[in-house]
Amino acid sequence: MSFNKRINIIIPPLFKRGLGGLINLHIVNPPVPLLQGGKFLLIFVLLIGSCSAPYKKLPRTELDVSESKNIPYALPYSSKALIFKADINFYKNNVSGLLIIKKIDENIYRIALTTQFGLKIFDFELNHGDLKVEYCAEYLSKKVILNTLQNDFNLLLMQNKIESIYNYKLEDQNKSVWQLNSGNLNYSYIQDTDSQKIVNMSFRKQNSEKISVRLHAYKGDIPGEINLEHHNIKLNMNLKLIQ
Amino acid sequence: MNRILSTFASMLIFVAFLNAQESGFNKVKDIEEVKSDLSRLTENTTSIQSEFIQEKHLSFLTENIVSKGKFYFKSPNKLRWEYSEPFEYMIVFNDKNIIIKDEEKISSFDTESNKMFSEINNMMIGTIQGNLFKDSERFNVQYFENANQYLLELDPKSSEMKSMIKTIKIYIDKSSISVAKIKMIESSDDYTSIDFKNRKLNEIINDSKFEL
Repeated sequence: MSFNKRINIIIPPLFKRGLGGLINLHIVNPPVPLLQGGKFLLIFVLLIGSCSAPYKKLPRTELDVSESKNIPYALPYSSKALIFKADINFYKNNVSGLLIIKKIDENIYRIALTTQFGLKIFDFELNHGDLKVEYCAEYLSKKVILNTLQNDFNLLLMQNKIESIYNYKLEDQNKSVWQLNSGNLNYSYIQDTDSQKIVNMSFRKQNSEKISVRLHAYKGDIPGEINLEHHNIKLNMNLKLIQ
Repeated sequence: MNRILSTFASMLIFVAFLNAQESGFNKVKDIEEVKSDLSRLTENTTSIQSEFIQEKHLSFLTENIVSKGKFYFKSPNKLRWEYSEPFEYMIVFNDKNIIIKDEEKISSFDTESNKMFSEINNMMIGTIQGNLFKDSERFNVQYFENANQYLLELDPKSSEMKSMIKTIKIYIDKSSISVAKIKMIESSDDYTSIDFKNRKLNEIINDSKFEL
């Protein structure tokens, strides 16, 4: 089953449309023709947007950026190391092994991937969102790959630098969405209000989804499985919690 | 002044010497004797099966990552290396074929078409058998011993391999002449050690163990 199909099961199409609508409404990057049509059209579209069911009474709360710490989070802010069995597919290449994530200090993480036999593939420090390479096997040590991994881990560990945070409640979906914004970049963390767990993450650039993450099979506070998929490049990462 | 310098220098040399040598092990005096001992090991071993405990040490972790499993080796070129805890993963070398079983996913490769796997194959079989020391083209070897064990320290020569591994240590029991433990130390000093338990030598292993 492809990841997209799985996503569709998790988030009904209506919800996806709704999320898109939200982003259109509040992160205004209007297409050029809309601007040419004048303010009136823009307001009209916004009104239609805001009146479209089921979100017309959608409560939207702006939070202070400092409150990002209080967002319920999938990978807890503790110093206990998490170990996942990792399966990374990059175009036709497959890298598998153990992914170890450890919080060293506030906003500082150590992230290492080793083969099953123990040999290190990479060892990074993610320091306030910046990836520092402690070690990286030569075949992965390319700027484009390192930047991609930096984006992935920043999304997973909520380390992106942000300018604003909004929270939306989608009562009929039992979902609560935290949207973190920085210019035209948006990072969404979607919580299931019944289980109180983060079930999806998403990274959008100019309102086009670049990375989506599904988190499920929770063991206590920690997701037992994480499936991360890129939409603009053929890269996906599947993680299974070991300890 | 000169005296202070030379004392200091000899202290440095002494410290370096201490660092290079694992405590409890002394440098082997007659290397040729050890070599012939070890050659008997490989010549007389038709099969090995053993359980293993692998520990991965990473400097930033307080506890090592422990995994367990077992392996079967049949001379000259069949190996089944199987993890059962805390994950299931198996790699089988059967002459020129390599099969990897990752949970339910099975993939196969050809050592002749994949240089990296061919290297892994040579290295794993070489370490398990203990005859990697013969590979003087790729390793500088130092020989140590205590009452019960030989310790071979292999330092890779090529810069490509040095970037991954600083030293491979192979501990060999003198009584059974079989590998008891291996330790791979990376350039960062993080290491992987593998202890072999319940070793059985030269028992019959069915070829089906090496087919999936």
